[in-house]
This record gives sequence, structure tokens and C-alpha cells, in this order.
Amino acid sequence: MPHEQNILGLNFTNSEEDLALKQQLELYVERVQDSDPGLQKVALESMRSCTFELVEAWQEIRTSTSSMTSVPKPLKFLRPHYGTLQTHYEKMAESDLKKLLADILSVLALTMSPEGERASLKYRLLGSDGDIGSWGHEYVRNLAGEISQEYAKRQSEEAPIDDLMELVVQIVAFHMKHNAEPEAVDLLMEVEDLDLLVEHVDSANYKRTCLYLTSSAKYLPGPDDMLVLDIAHTIYMKFEEYPRALQIALYLDNMQYVKQLFTTCNDIQKKRQFCFILARQGITFELDEEMCAEDEEREALQEIINNTKLSEGYLTLARDIEVMEPKSPEDIYKAHLIDGRGSGGGTVDSARQNLAATFVNAFVNAGFGQDKLMTVPSEASSGSSSTSWLFKNKEHGKASAAASLGMILLWDVDSGLAQLDKYFHSTDTHVISGALLGVGIVNCGVKNDCDPALALLAEYVDKEDSSTRIGAIMGLGLAYAGSQNEQIRSKLMPLLGDGKSSLDVIAFTAISLGLVYVGSCNEEVAQAIIFALMDRSEAEMGEPLTRFLSLGLGLLYLGKQESVEATAEVSKTFNEKIRKHCDMTLLSCAYAGTGNVLKVQHFLGQCAQHLEKGETFQGPAVLGIAMVAMAEELGLDMAIRSLEHLLQYGEQNIRKAVPLALGLLCISNPKVNVMDTLSRLSHDADTEVAMAAIISLGLIGAGTNNARIAGMLRNLSSYYYKDASLLFCVRIAQGLVHLGKGLMTLSPYHSERFLMSPTALAGLVTLLHACLDMKAIILGKYHYVLYFLVLAMQPRMLLTVDENLKPLSVPVRVGQAVDVVGQAGRPKTITGFQTHSTPVLLSAGDRAELATEKYIPLSPILEGFVILKENPDYREDN
Amino acid sequence: MLTVSVKWQKELFSNVEIDTSQTPYVFKCQLYDLTGVPPERQKIMVKGGLLKDDADWSTVGVKQGQKLMMMGTADEIVKAPEKGPLFAEDLPEEELVVNVGHSAGLINLGNTCYMNSTIQCLHLVPELKSALIKYPPPVRSNAVDQSSHLLAVTTRDLFNELDRNVKPVAPMRFLSALRSKYPQFAQLQNGLYMQQDAEECWSQLLFTLSSCLKSSGSSEDAAADTVKRLFGIDLVSRVHCAESGEESTETESVYSLKCHISQEVNHLHEGLRHGLKSELEKASPSLGRSAIYVKDSRINDLPRYLTIQFVRFFWKRETNQKAKILRKVNYPLELDVLDFCSDDLRKRLEVPRKILRDEEGKKFGLKTKQNSSASTDIDVKMSDAEGPSNVSGNSSESAAGEEKEKHLTGIYDLVAVLTHKGRSADSGHYVAWVKQENGKWIQFDDDNPILQREEDITKLSGGGDWHMAYICMYKARDVSI
Repeated sequence: MPHEQNILGLNFTNSEEDLALKQQLELYVERVQDSDPGLQKVALESMRSCTFELVEAWQEIRTSTSSMTSVPKPLKFLRPHYGTLQTHYEKMAESDLKKLLADILSVLALTMSPEGERASLKYRLLGSDGDIGSWGHEYVRNLAGEISQEYAKRQSEEAPIDDLMELVVQIVAFHMKHNAEPEAVDLLMEVEDLDLLVEHVDSANYKRTCLYLTSSAKYLPGPDDMLVLDIAHTIYMKFEEYPRALQIALYLDNMQYVKQLFTTCNDIQKKRQFCFILARQGITFELDEEMCAEDEEREALQEIINNTKLSEGYLTLARDIEVMEPKSPEDIYKAHLIDGRGSGGGTVDSARQNLAATFVNAFVNAGFGQDKLMTVPSEASSGSSSTSWLFKNKEHGKASAAASLGMILLWDVDSGLAQLDKYFHSTDTHVISGALLGVGIVNCGVKNDCDPALALLAEYVDKEDSSTRIGAIMGLGLAYAGSQNEQIRSKLMPLLGDGKSSLDVIAFTAISLGLVYVGSCNEEVAQAIIFALMDRSEAEMGEPLTRFLSLGLGLLYLGKQESVEATAEVSKTFNEKIRKHCDMTLLSCAYAGTGNVLKVQHFLGQCAQHLEKGETFQGPAVLGIAMVAMAEELGLDMAIRSLEHLLQYGEQNIRKAVPLALGLLCISNPKVNVMDTLSRLSHDADTEVAMAAIISLGLIGAGTNNARIAGMLRNLSSYYYKDASLLFCVRIAQGLVHLGKGLMTLSPYHSERFLMSPTALAGLVTLLHACLDMKAIILGKYHYVLYFLVLAMQPRMLLTVDENLKPLSVPVRVGQAVDVVGQAGRPKTITGFQTHSTPVLLSAGDRAELATEKYIPLSPILEGFVILKENPDYREDN
Repeated sequence: MLTVSVKWQKELFSNVEIDTSQTPYVFKCQLYDLTGVPPERQKIMVKGGLLKDDADWSTVGVKQGQKLMMMGTADEIVKAPEKGPLFAEDLPEEELVVNVGHSAGLINLGNTCYMNSTIQCLHLVPELKSALIKYPPPVRSNAVDQSSHLLAVTTRDLFNELDRNVKPVAPMRFLSALRSKYPQFAQLQNGLYMQQDAEECWSQLLFTLSSCLKSSGSSEDAAADTVKRLFGIDLVSRVHCAESGEESTETESVYSLKCHISQEVNHLHEGLRHGLKSELEKASPSLGRSAIYVKDSRINDLPRYLTIQFVRFFWKRETNQKAKILRKVNYPLELDVLDFCSDDLRKRLEVPRKILRDEEGKKFGLKTKQNSSASTDIDVKMSDAEGPSNVSGNSSESAAGEEKEKHLTGIYDLVAVLTHKGRSADSGHYVAWVKQENGKWIQFDDDNPILQREEDITKLSGGGDWHMAYICMYKARDVSI
């Protein structure tokens, strides 16, 4: 083995030399046991140096071949004497020598000591306390492992841990210096002292450290994850990596940190970038003078947070990709590609099909400001084509049609209000209701100083007609989702207690309050909804709309975990018809996006029960699995497999919820296996399962223009051409697949799937709950619940802007993101990339990086709006 | 005095002065000058509230330099159209048929698919329907017996019912009328009604209708034999005896052409030629004994609807049943019968054929405009491919009254196929494949109408165990001169 010899640089692979070494070591061992301390010391020293040298050599092998092929010789030869040395050690008197022997024993114990004895640690503590790294990585790793065991033991015995912590400090320092950040973090997590980390990170390793911290947070239970993220935040702040710090602050939902960020950072450009990140998360945040002293500047920043730039940026993207041309529903149906059986060749309009066309038109042209049905210029025809399309919808259909104008002009408040104005003067209550809802949709995710939505909608909330009221209530919910606006609360809360309000008004009020106070745990609102629920009569308890009350209650606790417990206790006193349903809804909302495995198990357990009578709680339980598990990829894949099982063994009320759960798990992310499952279910003998599967096909393909799903849906449209309800679902799904002509996503996750927008999730969950009873809600007269999706709609773009916020086109590489957590060095973060120039579209799982050195992005995550500043060190090289 | 800025749509009016001593209505009038939006249409938003006309400025709390937002347009107010659109969901069931695009199916009452498919095929002939509507005439002649009369009446009712319904119809009364008129259809086997030959049903039904409608028309004019005009084919035959050299001419009228199937027949044309030539043995007056005569028939007059029967069944003595020939015989979507016409008829067809050719040529040259105006409800794709047939179909309907001006051309389009699946005429399953007015093909499998593609219709030509054509009905493509 010449190769090995070269690496070792020592010729003891030769058996003669081996023998010599062995004899020498044996001699040492004998001498150690000698009574002469002088001899002993020499023996120990040389044994140590010999072992030491060899261990180093061994280390060399390890690093060069990265796999341990043989036990180092000295260790091997000393192994038989481990027992002898151990007994001798016990007999030795306290001295430096004894410490030396302890060192050697500590190393020997690495391989010799039986599992669980932690002899290595024991001797290390008794030893000479020398440089820990001199014995090599393996030794340190082993020690770290033993420390964590020992720590756990001492914790239970409440024994002192100071000596351990000293060692921990050494080990952490060693690891952090040697590119082994994950090991350092792991050890510190075991000994529950992450604060130590802050001292040891430096500019070279803080990124990897924080990456490991943030991604491990997803798998940590209870308060630990918050602690870990807190440390990551501290580190980011220490190294002035502000955008990342802001992300973590948003994840923690800690507004104090956000404020701190604005006060510490003085760079106006960076502040602007923060504002873009805040806007994407869709939270309400008011800047004050402390955060930005200059009035004008503050106003400009506040405008960014208010998302007023969104419409402009989206249209820039659309113009760049050249998709401004409006599309009609027929362009989406593509009936000419279906052979033979096209859409019904009837001469009479079908209200159901026209309604479907209204929604398709709204989804496809969302945010573009123009379409072929609703916004045809009035001078084009004196009869005003938009009017005629509006009246091609029947009764409550007109509400959805009028509201669709809001969708088309999404985010563009000024033009949106101007165009909706004409409907306010209509005598038709459905049209007015739609106009009110439209105002809400236009303002969704966009805030305005004048609060036009509140000004316009408030007075209609107390009108007589319940459809008008619902329009106004839902509009307020959409426009002020997540804002926790006091005025809305004082406007809406009294409705819940009003005995004269009909059930649907109360149900939509609960949802709107849930949206406005999403994830706030607001007790007053919770009380009001609970009372409203208790006031329902026995008959109303069975109504599908009553479930919106428990959902509204659940939304208040979205993602807030334990905070829900008090309310959950109260829900146990509800009427038995709604009790379990409410319980499941609360639990699923509270743990949404947490990835909590125990909760997933709990929901699975609920689904395993056999129901005697018409109980409905298993639907929310199935959705709950998806809501909890959607947090991270691994859990998501496991949930998909678990849902397959439910499909095989579950009863009807479970089966119909499974497609919806799959739809949520893979929202705007058409995974092939899920697509196949849904395609299979879309032909299910049970219509409710088929309908749910079809809608879910739309959800997983939402905004992707996915050709395969589009083809499936076209075939379904001919397969179900005779069944109006199923055809309606197919049309909606087709509209969703082409959402915003393929420029949008419905995924609540953004910023490299780290952050989740609570309002977006709330919107999705509300729709999915409505889909649990299609016939009563979406196929009934509450089809406008489809507009709850607007909360989740966001352009899936990367738009780079210069320091004056003007679009700036630069080359970027876009490719599939690679998980680089725990990898040393500077690994590639994307694979299979293509180079485009901005603005570009990002698909699910895509990541972008700048392909030029000319600019420096102000946010490390290239998504949404990113400000670029010129690189001062850049030199054109020709 | 305050100055504020007002945002209206994309415009910003800065430095608008407010006279706080006046009502906000005055302020609105100011804005009317700027924007042209009448004050009553203006909505001015101040921090989450609307500015009321009679509010007090001091309570509104407008500050110097504040930005206000105004909503409102001078646009026309949306008004509902006088006459709202009609929705399929609101229509009574009979009108829904138009929307569904095809008529109802027929429920199988126990081996009655032969009858159902026959009815579905005949149901598509609008002229037959309109003739039946006039039946019975106010003065009924006694030429028709009671059972025939009943059959005609029930046929009329059944046709009506099919037109009015979307859901399948149960033809109870028709069936009992049919069975009382033709007891052979009431044959039982093992206590169940037997499967019957659809062709027999077809021809018997037509015969009855013919006699009923003829007699009804007799009061006016003898020429009004509707059924004959629609389906009757006049044949002129030359009967020739090779042995004696005798030759005579016969004329006859039949309701269908036969397509004989033999070894060398692969296409409808060959089968028809076979069918028009027959040998018969009869007493020869000159020879004084029976001799072989060759009968060679030609068509002398064409009907509006040409019925062609594939002679797929023959009496097989060994098994004592009508056995079936499975041979594949292709048939076209467009049939030209000129080859089978007599010289006289050919002459008559010459001019109309030329006109038709010209018309079609013109249409292919500039087809787009005409189609859309001629038929708005027809799916674009179909009218592209089927332009000529649709136009002729439509015009024949609209011009039902002015028959005189219609001239046949000898060119026919396939409109219905009655197929059989199975090994003998008295077993298996009969299905009707009918082209609807909107150009779509519907397979009427008893109570279940199924949309089909046109290219699949020609695949019913036999040669396997799939449905195969037994009776084909072609519709004349005519021209008006």
C-alpha cells in the first residue's frame, strides 16, 4: 500500500516496524506502571507524543480520504492495555502525570469505552486541559456527543454543570474555527446555551451558522425554535445583515425588532428595501418619526409598505413579457382543441356558464386593468358592453360580475374606484353588493391614507338588504385583512350580536373579522364570535354557513399555537353539532404553518374514527393536516403520502376533503405525483370528490399556465359537458391555472419559502372550508367566496429597480434552488439555471442570482422588488 | 380658509381652497368645476369617512395641506337592459331542448331498441313531422283502418314529446299501437317480447304513415302523398331475357334502395349496383316456359330522403334465423347517385348540379361571411367543414312552403345511420346515430343520447363486432332556382 505510506509519511505499515512500535508501546505501558516517577513521566510523555503524532497522521488520512479505513496503529496497539492503564490510573497519586495519563485514556476511550459510559469525557475532565483540537476532529465530536448526554443526566439530577460548560466553550470555539458550524450549533442546542454562539461567529461563518439555525428551527419543538431564531436575529444584526434580520423578525412576528431595525439602519436605500419586504409579507406597519426623521422620506417609505407600487411593478412585468393583451374566457377554454364534443352548442345563455366565464375572466385578467368583458371602453358601443355582460349574469351572479371589475383592476385603487363608481348608482341590489365587494378586492393588500374602502363600505354594512350587507362586509374583510383596524371592529362586531341579522350576514361578518384580526388572538373579537355561535338555534347549527363562524374564530389564532387553548376549552361547551367541528378548525388554524408533527398525528387520529351520524369535523381535520404540514418540504411529502392512505381507507366525508388538502399542500406548485392523484380523483364516482379534485387541480396549477393541467382540464370539460355543476368547477379551475395569465402565485410562502403571509393563508383556508360543502356555497348563491383567493394572489416575479425605484434590467440566473444547509465552503445555490434579464418570473422552488458584478442587490433574496445599487469595485473588463 | 389637495382618479388637484364657513356642498361645487363630476355623484373620502353635504367643517377635521380622495365619474349610470337575457336555467323543459342541442332519448321497454332507433331516425325528418302535425285532417276518410290511424296519431304524439323533453321518453302508447297494428312485433319468446328486425319496423311504419297521410290528403290533391314524396324512389327497370331477346320496361316505387353484400362488394356504390340488377325467373310468353330474365333498374325519380338498406341478414335454414353478414362495406358521408339514374333523370339533374357546383365553388372562395349570417348557432368548426350541408339544411327548412323551387341534384348527405350490433337480426342491439340540426352527431342508445364525432360515424361500416350500419338515411342537397 504505497499510497497510504505516502500519506502517513511514516513507515509503520511495514509489519516489522509495526512490531517495533508495538513493542515500544508495550514497554511504555510497563514503564508507566513502574514505581519510578521519572521513568513514568518519560514513558507517558513519549507515549503521548507518539500517540499524538499518529493521531495527527490519522487526522490527515481522514481529511484526505474523508473515510476512516483503519484504526490508527498506536490506538490499535494500545487497545489491549486500556484496562491495565485504567487500573493503574486509579492507583496513581494526584500529579501532573496522572493528568497526562488521563489525556491518553480519554483518547483511548474514544474507541474502547462501552456505549453510555462517557469515559472519554470523564478522563477529559480529569486530564490536563490542553488544546482540545490537538486530538483531532473525531475526538472532539465524540466528546461533544458525550457532553450532551452528560448534560441531560446532570440536568435531571440538578448537578452543577460548570466544568462541562468550560469544555463546551472550547469545543464551540474549535468547531467554529474549523467550518463545523452545524456541530457547534447542535452542541449548544443540547446544552441550551445558544447565546455562546454570538461571541464565536465571525464574518466568515455567520452566514452558514444562521442558515443552519434558521433551517433547524423548523424541526424544533415549542419555544426552542423561537429561541434559535432569536439568536440568528442577534447574529444578523451584529453583522448588519439587515434584510435577513428583518425576515426573522417577521417570522417571529416581532414588530419591536422591525422598529429596532429601522432605527439602527441609516441607509435610506436599505430602508426602502425593508419596506418592500414588509409589503410582500402584507402586514400593516406604521413608520414614525423615530424610524425615519424626514417627513417626505417617511411618506415615500410608507407608500412602499402600503404596496402602492405593486400594480405598477406588476404591469411592468406584464409589458416586458408581452402579455398585456386581454384574454377572453374562450381563449382559456380552447374548445377548438377538444375534438367533437365542444362546449354546448346552445343558443341560450346558461347563467351558470356565464358566471363561470365571469370568474375565469376575472382570474385571468386579474390586475391587468383591461379585459374583454367588463372594461370595454364605453365609447366603443353606445350600449356599453360591460353593462351587457353584467346583465348576462343572473341575480346573485351579477354581484360576482360587478366584483370581477375589482379583480381586473386589482391593486390599482385610483382607476378601480373610478370604474366601480357607476355601479354604485344602480338600482339593482346585487350590482351594488358586487360593487362593494369590488372596492374591497381592489384595495386588497393595498393601503391608502384616505381609507377609501372604509369610507365607501361602512354605511352599507347596516343596510336592509342582506346581499348588499354581505358585499360590504366581505369587502371590508378583504381590504383590511391583517390590519387589526379598530374602526372595522367597531363597525362589524355589533352585527354578530344582532338578533335580526340573517345567518349568512353573521357568517360573513365572522370571516371578515377573522381576516382583519388574523393571528391577533384578539379576545374581544373572539368573545363576540363565540357568543354569536352560542346564539345559533339548533336548526342553524346544521347549516353549512355556520361553519364560517368557527373558521372566523380559528383565523384569529392563525399560527399562534398554544394561545388558542383557552378558546378551544370554551368551544367544548358548544352545541354538539358544531363542537368537534369547531375544535378541529381552531386547532388546525392555530398550528397552521408550524409543521408540528404531533398535531398532524392528532388529525390523522381523528380521521381514523368511524362516524355514526352526519358529523362534519373530519373535513377540517383533513385540511388541518395540510395546513400544519405545509410548513416544510419534508413534512409536506409525508403528508401527501398520509393523505393517499386516507383516500384508500377513509369514508366519503374524508375523501372529499383529501383533494383540497392536496391542493393546499402543493398550491401553485404542480408536483407530478399530486397532479396524477388529482387527475384520477377528478373522475371519481362521487361527484363531491370529483369537484374538489377539479378545483384542486386549479389550485396546484394556479398561475403556472401548466400545459399538462390545462390539457387535463380541457378533457374534463368535454367529459363533464352535460353536468353543469362539474363543468362550472372545471371552468373555475381553468381560470385559476391561467391566473393573471400565468404571472401570479397563490402560495402564501415567499422569501425562499421561509416566510408565510398569514393573510394569504387565511384567504386560502377560507376558500377551502367553503369547498368542503360545494353544493351549498360555491354552487349555491355564495360563489363570490372564490374572491377570497385574492388575499393570496401575488405576482411571482423578480423586479429589479435602481436607486430611484425605476425598473432596471439586469441579467440574472434563474434555476432550481439547492439546499445548502450545513455544507462547507461556498456551494452553488441553484442548479440547471438559465440566464434571463429582469423582470423575470420565478416558479415554485426557483431561486435567482445576479449574473453580473456590476450591481449589488440590497436584499440577499431575489424575489419581488429588489433594489440594486452600483458596485463601486466593479470594473468593466474587456 | 384651508388649502387641500384632492386626488381624483390619476389626477391630483393641489391647492384647492376650502371656505370653512360654507357647507361642504360648496366645496363639491368647486370640484365640479375641476372635474366635471356633478356634486351628487361625488364621494369625498376623508380618513375613512365620507364627506356629507351638510357636515360642519370643524367636526370633519380637515387639516391644512391634507390629501383628500374623490371618487365619482360623470359616466352614464349602469342600467339594466329592458329585456334581460334568457337563461337556460329558467327555461321550461321543452325549450331547454334547443339548448341541449338534441332531442330526448327513448326508454327501452323490453327489447324495443329496434323501434327506438327507427323512431329516432325518422324523427329527424322535419317534413314528416310537419305532415304529421296536420294529421288527422278534419274530414277523415274511411280508407284507413282504426289501428293504422292510431299508429299515426301516436307517432305524431311521440315526435312531439321527443321535441319537448330533455329527459328520456317512454313510448308506451306508440308501442301498443304498433303491436296492435302489426301483431308480429308482439311475438313472445320465453315470456318476453322478442327482439325484432328494425328494417321491418321501419318499412311497416312508413307504409302505415304513407297510407294514412295519403288518405288524409286525398280530399285536396292526389299528389300530396307526403311519405312518397319524402322517401319514395321511382325505379324504371328494363327486364330483359337473354334467351328470347324479349324486353319490357317496368316502373315501380320503393322506399329504400338495397345494398347487396357479396364477396366483391367493399363499398356502398358496388352494393347498390348489385341491388339494382337482379335475375328472376318467370314465364316467358314467347318461349312458353319459364326463363331467366335480367332486371336492370335505374332510378327515375329521387326522394328528398334516400334510404339505403344494407342487406346484411339472410335466412339461414340450418339455424332457422336471420343470419348476419359481417362484411365491411364502406359508405360515404356524401353520396352521389348519378350513376344509378336513368337518362331522363340525368337530364333533369344537369342544370341543378351545375348551379350547385357554382355555388359551392363560390362558397369556398368567400365562405366566411355567408356562414355566420346563415347560421348563428352553429359551431364555427362544423360550419367550416360542413358549410354546404348546413346551408342546404337550413334553407330547406325555411323554404318548406316553396317546394316547387327546390331542385334535387342527386347529391346526398348522410344524416342518420341505424346500426346493429350482434349476430342475428332478432338479437343484438340496435342504435340510431343521428345528425342534429346544429351539425352534431348524436348516438341515441335508447334513453342515452351520446355526442359523437363525425369521423366515428363512417367507422360503423362493419367488419367486426362493433355497431355496423344497417340502414342509412341520406338527405338531398338541393338548390333553389
